[in-house]
Amino acid sequence: MNVHPTTPPRAKGPLVWLDMDQQALDDAYDQEVYAPNRALIVERRKAASERARARLGPPRRVAYGPSEHEGLDIFDCGTKGAPVNVFVHGGAWRRNQAADYALQAEPLVRAGAHSVIIDFINVDQAGGDLFPMYEQVRRALAWVVRNAGSFGGDPDRVYVSAHSSGSHLAGVVLARGWREEGLSADAFKGAVLLSGMYDLHPVRLSKRSAYVKFTDDMVEKLSAQRHIETLHTPLVLAYGTRETPEFQRQTRDFAAALRSREKPVELIEGQAYNHFELLETLANPYGLTGRAMLQQMQLTPR
Amino acid sequence: MQQTAAARTKGPLVWLDMDQKALDDAYDQLVYAPNRDQVHERNVFNSERVRARLGTPKRLAYGPTPVEQLDLFATDKPKAPINVFIHGGAWRQRWAKDYAFLAEMFVRAGAHCVLLDFAGVEATKGDLMPMADQVRRGVAWVYRNASSFGGDPDRLYVSGQSSGAHLAGCVVTTDWEEDYGVPNTIVKGALLCSGMYDLEPVRLSKRSEYVAFTDEVEEKLSAQRRLDRLNCPLIVAYGTYETPEFQRQSRDFAAAVKAAGKPVTLLVGSGYNHFEMAEMIGNPLSLLGSAVLEQMGLA
Repeated sequence: MNVHPTTPPRAKGPLVWLDMDQQALDDAYDQEVYAPNRALIVERRKAASERARARLGPPRRVAYGPSEHEGLDIFDCGTKGAPVNVFVHGGAWRRNQAADYALQAEPLVRAGAHSVIIDFINVDQAGGDLFPMYEQVRRALAWVVRNAGSFGGDPDRVYVSAHSSGSHLAGVVLARGWREEGLSADAFKGAVLLSGMYDLHPVRLSKRSAYVKFTDDMVEKLSAQRHIETLHTPLVLAYGTRETPEFQRQTRDFAAALRSREKPVELIEGQAYNHFELLETLANPYGLTGRAMLQQMQLTPR
Repeated sequence: MQQTAAARTKGPLVWLDMDQKALDDAYDQLVYAPNRDQVHERNVFNSERVRARLGTPKRLAYGPTPVEQLDLFATDKPKAPINVFIHGGAWRQRWAKDYAFLAEMFVRAGAHCVLLDFAGVEATKGDLMPMADQVRRGVAWVYRNASSFGGDPDRLYVSGQSSGAHLAGCVVTTDWEEDYGVPNTIVKGALLCSGMYDLEPVRLSKRSEYVAFTDEVEEKLSAQRRLDRLNCPLIVAYGTYETPEFQRQSRDFAAAVKAAGKPVTLLVGSGYNHFEMAEMIGNPLSLLGSAVLEQMGLA
């Protein structure tokens, strides 16, 4: 099912990762090679977020840390003691902001959950370092657990959803970040991670190294797949069959690694979805991943 | 936006500012939406999942020929409103079962969802008249038999996409009393997504190779020329990545309905191509899903 729309015949270079030469690996970490309609989908997402804000009203904006980047949007479902879902956006660690993801809140709010959408620093602002991003996401998720009561959320029913590089960051928090924050092992009751990266080694070998300053320490500490023993959150992992070969493999391999350690995981394969199209199913209560998210939270789609 | 346009000499104009090539391209979705097969694959995949959750639909015959059947996804709400969906596919044969993906939204919102099967233009020797007659008979059958499956005949709505929106346009401009013996007001509202409402430019395009257009077909099956028969509010929708003609058809039709003093809402899907528009109908939070539920009083 790998569809590589732009491949002209060329001489294959030395292998750098699995059966891939440098060009193939670079392409496998470049979404636009496999998903040329990114710009359309961004346009759709922004229009849908505007509609969601018009229907839900503006979110409550709260700072979860001292820097300008550390803010989050809370969409309140109006029910005290309701479960909470925190969304961590993607964008190759470089792009996007919470405001453009308001659409993620609506299926949750309608089903009776609070939705929290977090902002955090991007890798360019952080000088190519993923640690500040990871630390901010970790603090944001911990803030929600500790402060859920302050906005009517049930601290014992905090869930996570994430996409792409957001799934990478959220995955590490769930695997080991909870300990660094002094949270309990089951602080997060479940997570739906779409189209993420769970081992940074091949990413480091790709052209993403041009803007991410990978180090041995970073690859070790920020690869969720290397910290499975301390992961205690049931996961739903999803990818699309039109994603890059590496984005398909990362999710499949992570799911297999979790299964082999008998960790609870459900793998969803989205037939004929590319990297960006898959996320659109999360903002649909009857969509492939939206339904899975509501089901994990024991909510009825409406 | 046009993905295959290379520099070429423009020929004589055949429609508006278009030469033959430009017009042909404007009625060829693949030129503007190369992911047609991918979206269809997704629709088939999601339809299977919906059947797994809702169960196999009831299969009912609305006419004597084998193709004249429909899939009914029933809600358990008593005397519930009904939405009848008419699929697209450039009038070629497609099947109701591949559109089950949009049924769940209706059923969970408390409505019955009916997906019509009908002949493709391959089976009618290129004639659109029997297709229009089939979908009209399908709608009349649902009206007459609504109470047999717990539906409210007085809350019957229609939706259609692409050539299915063309046919749905014919449905809402039907002489019901004269031609089908039911009241003229049986349809209470319609969503027409990415359709064609005047067949003249379509006739001038290469679609004439497989559709046997005649003056009669063009005149009788162009909803825009039959607006005096329109009796229900319309939602007309198109996507900003559709072909120039598919955008214009919807805009012009909506303007004509408005000029006729009849209720119409024009919705523009920002960032959507022709095939992606229909996917929205199954999502109650989307531009089209929320609009159709609101039209049906289910929002």
